[in-house]
Amino acid sequence: MFSKHVTKDISAYCHGELSPEAARQFAEHVMACAKCRSEFEEIKRGIKLAEQLPQLEAPESLWEGIEARLGEDERINKREWRPWTVAAAAVLVIVAGLGLWRLWDRTFKNNLSNQLAASSWQVLRLDGAPRIGGEQVRFSGRLGIGEWLETDGSSRAQIAVSSIGTVDIDENTRVRLLETAPTEHRLELQRGKMSAMIWAPPRLFFVDTPSAVAADLGCAYTLEVDDHGAGLLRVTSGWVALELKDRESIVPAGAACETRPGVGPGTPFFEDASALFKSALNEIDFQQNAVGKPPGVDALLNEARPRDTLTLWHLLARVHGDDRARVYDKLAGFAPPPAGVTREGVLQLDGAMLERWKGVLEFSWQRGGDKSVPKALSDVYFRVKNGVGRRMKALP
Amino acid sequence: MEQRAVMVQQLIDVSVIEACQQGDREAFQLLFETYKDKVFSIAVYAIGGDRAIADDVTQQIFLKLFTAIRQYRGDSQFTTWLYRLVVNACIDERRRRSRWLPWGETVAMKHTGERKPQEKQFARLEVAEAVREAIGELKPKFRLPILLKYIEGLSYEEIASVMGCSKGTVASRLNRGHSQLAKRLAHLNTASTWND
Repeated sequence: MFSKHVTKDISAYCHGELSPEAARQFAEHVMACAKCRSEFEEIKRGIKLAEQLPQLEAPESLWEGIEARLGEDERINKREWRPWTVAAAAVLVIVAGLGLWRLWDRTFKNNLSNQLAASSWQVLRLDGAPRIGGEQVRFSGRLGIGEWLETDGSSRAQIAVSSIGTVDIDENTRVRLLETAPTEHRLELQRGKMSAMIWAPPRLFFVDTPSAVAADLGCAYTLEVDDHGAGLLRVTSGWVALELKDRESIVPAGAACETRPGVGPGTPFFEDASALFKSALNEIDFQQNAVGKPPGVDALLNEARPRDTLTLWHLLARVHGDDRARVYDKLAGFAPPPAGVTREGVLQLDGAMLERWKGVLEFSWQRGGDKSVPKALSDVYFRVKNGVGRRMKALP
Repeated sequence: MEQRAVMVQQLIDVSVIEACQQGDREAFQLLFETYKDKVFSIAVYAIGGDRAIADDVTQQIFLKLFTAIRQYRGDSQFTTWLYRLVVNACIDERRRRSRWLPWGETVAMKHTGERKPQEKQFARLEVAEAVREAIGELKPKFRLPILLKYIEGLSYEEIASVMGCSKGTVASRLNRGHSQLAKRLAHLNTASTWND
């Protein structure tokens, strides 16, 4: 797989010009190959730029010049018509016109249907009576840009996300298609629950919720939003980034992350953490007290396990003063920082140092957290995050 | 308006083309109204931004189309046939002028009529202007596939047919064109304009 790079196919992939099998192989390679992924990002940016090229409007005067020239030819061909020929011609015109109209109508509808198919996603009914734009989906339908897909308490549906994956829509859910383009597919989850399985290079599929945006990094996950806009992300394979403005949480398989309107994504945690740990984290994330000091740090640190470095690393930038120092010490006790990463630098939130430390920690976040996923697939996800070279060194 | 243009374009079927072949003026006008903006846009971008030259080239293309349409036999898609005519006319123009003018060398493009007057946000216009300039600086072999893809919305197969090359060549040239665009415009902060 690594002997043959796929850079020549990047534009074709983005424009949907590859066969499904070739697209799958392309995506698999790009997820695993840092070189191709880098070029993929550059060309994707080039495509986004090219899409900004506006169509211009031809000047009104253009037709006049053409018409003048055409008029000369027409005058030469002009013939005199007698009354009976006019009547016969009129009948012919009416008959031909009716036939023409039916032909146009049929062609127009067929073409319009093809046009709509290109800018919409297929929806399959799984249970009950899901609705698209208020219309019931009997067997299958199409979800166009701007249209809502809704399920009630007894209905479910499945969406084919272009050619890059599927999204299952659970009961009592409302989603809307916001964008489907070669460089971005975006869904809005207003309320309810959806399960996504995406096989594509990172950051092609996004889900907007009232309190965060879920950016796919090559993964499978479920996302729930309650009636107040609060969300819960649970990742079953790969990685998902939850983002809102400058706040970002990276969530690997086996981990979850809550979101709240007005706050954004909370801190990710592994689902097998203790109840006390999760409760303390919820307090830190969403229940700041009046003086701004987050409660629950002591309880969380007491309950933390080596595997909880995922939470501790994210917390470094979310707590302050002594709390940050105590989080650092706990984290360093579980996984000492690599060379070049200092206590002072981390406490001052030096971005490069934090990233370097995270790069080391991610191996432990991924390992053992993706038990439901075949190892080959898990390894691909790992390489996406950490680069092939490091993975090769880490393996015996 | 764009939706209307798409709908009108759907109406150009075999009966309209046959009417044009028989010299029907109204059918000619329908054809002209349907394709004039796309043909004009290609001419402007391909030639390098000179509106006066693009006017002239567009007019020549339609005059030639109205004459040559009698020879259209329907063995390829009409749009493919039309854009082959457009591309050849632009290439002929280049030959006549012995080189392709760099973007904006003679005429500022800011006064050309744009289809989306509602796009008044400065950042978006700035990006669009920068993209036009950058595309104008691409070599013709990279520029034309990009114009056929983004102005006309042709598939790779259609572009290959118009340009008389293979699909692989189209893919490769688009790749190079996209890559060069990204490099030339690396300085642009376009996130805000793409996400709104």
